[in-house]
Amino acid sequence: MLQNKNNNNNNNFNNNNNTENEEGFVKVSLVNQSVFIRKKKTCPLRDIDISEIDYKNLKLLNKFISERGKIIPSRITNVEIKKQRAIAQAIKRARNLALISPIKKDATSN
Amino acid sequence: MSLYETVFIARQDLTAEDVDALSNKLAKIITDANGKVEKEYWGLRNLSYKVKKNSRGHYILLKINSEYPVVAELKRVMGFNEDVIRSATFLVEAHKDESYMFQSANAKDYKAGKIATRKEPSKLDLVIDQFQFDA
Repeated sequence: MLQNKNNNNNNNFNNNNNTENEEGFVKVSLVNQSVFIRKKKTCPLRDIDISEIDYKNLKLLNKFISERGKIIPSRITNVEIKKQRAIAQAIKRARNLALISPIKKDATSN
Repeated sequence: MSLYETVFIARQDLTAEDVDALSNKLAKIITDANGKVEKEYWGLRNLSYKVKKNSRGHYILLKINSEYPVVAELKRVMGFNEDVIRSATFLVEAHKDESYMFQSANAKDYKAGKIATRKEPSKLDLVIDQFQFDA
């Protein structure tokens, strides 16, 4: 995962002194200066087929709800939009079936 | 013919035989109308909130291949059966062989704790373990 991001930056800037400093940023050394560039974040579910996102897969859904039982926005999780919609629908179905609490995260289901 | 999934929760004080009788009765509605149905029993699970004064419930999944009017009849019958405390029906594109919560086909075959030793983590589980969002 990390290699891919470094490779992308290498392609853009033609050098290979990239180092990890802060989370989410990559330090890139140019000729006379070094700059910090925000890493492009990728969808954490890119290897998972959309049919796996299901109201029955509680282990997956519990990753996408907060301690208060709210659905975490894709702004934070970087899930792509189609999969975020599928997650939201699956969580709502699971709530109706009393599989997920609407007000808190179930500590045991992780 | 379309594919449907129906999940219903049976009352907590039913015995395994009662649950099987109930699910067979509901499945018979589908099979009488030339539909196909498969059953999955998920065990006596804790509900995450109380439903009609029950804090636990038997979960049963019916995987249905049938016309919609038959499914509508199934929903109607579940609506006035007092042993069914909650039910939901979804249109799906494909049925999976075993869902993530599969325990046994019939309630009387169910043994508690069986799921812990059932199988090693799948590729999906390994991907899921990698990320964590809430602090």
